[in-house]
Amino acid sequence: MTDEDLLLARLRSGEQAAYKVLVERYQGAMRAIAIAIVGMSSADEVVQDSWLSVVRNIDGFAGRASLKTWLLTITANAAKTRLKKQRREVFIDDIAGPHGTIGADRFKADGHWQQSPLGWHTDSPEALLDEQELRECLDHTLTSLSELQCSVLLLRDRQCLELEEICNLLEISHSNVRVLLHRARLSVFATLEHFEDTGEC
Amino acid sequence: MLTCKGLVAQSSDLLDGSLSFRQRLAARTHLAICFHCRRFIRQMRISQRVIRTLPEAPLPDLEHLLRAISEQRAAQSDDHNER
Ligand SMILES: [Zn+2]
Repeated sequence: MTDEDLLLARLRSGEQAAYKVLVERYQGAMRAIAIAIVGMSSADEVVQDSWLSVVRNIDGFAGRASLKTWLLTITANAAKTRLKKQRREVFIDDIAGPHGTIGADRFKADGHWQQSPLGWHTDSPEALLDEQELRECLDHTLTSLSELQCSVLLLRDRQCLELEEICNLLEISHSNVRVLLHRARLSVFATLEHFEDTGEC
Repeated sequence: MLTCKGLVAQSSDLLDGSLSFRQRLAARTHLAICFHCRRFIRQMRISQRVIRTLPEAPLPDLEHLLRAISEQRAAQSDDHNER
């Protein structure tokens, strides 16, 4: 029996502690999906509805997909139901970061670096995140991204979903996902670089 | 010849393994000769790990959610018993 089979058996027998494990493990990803589709304001409601739907349907879960994929699909469907037909547009260009990202001004006319990347004092994410102020800067940067862009970043780089899975769940094209992800990553990079350089956001 | 600007534009696809064979070859060739872009790619990877490592936002009202789940389960098993 895999860890997942075991968890599933516990869920089906109605063990409350098993639901707690499930919520703690997948709430972050479910929330990112909900935010991407319905926005921050109704995301928590969608996630709550999704959990109730999970409870209703857990006996019918056939195990063809992974539990995670099943949960995220339920969440995406709940969010889309909520949204009905008013699909939010994907505005790719509506995002201004807290400060410059890696824009054209970083390069010379011949395409070489004008202002090359600075060295950082450490390669360790943990050491970087030791700075409370940097954590606040990153929060600020994530908030400044569009909800969709932030969700795509979290689903890919935090929840480690495949690009394909993100496209399917959010019903956006592969090229849109790639653009959103790239810009979000550059914003995070720029935040870290700026903080390394100045100690400020 | 791939420029630094071009490499940066493709950097996410490089990290995700989404480049074509030809593009990947061009990127590798550029990285072999360009210290600045090597550093940039290394820092992009660190940025990814920073996002991965960020402390999780606290779960909103977990207790409330768990109570709702347990009420739902109780309601369901009542249904079963009545049938
Ligand atoms: Zn270069």
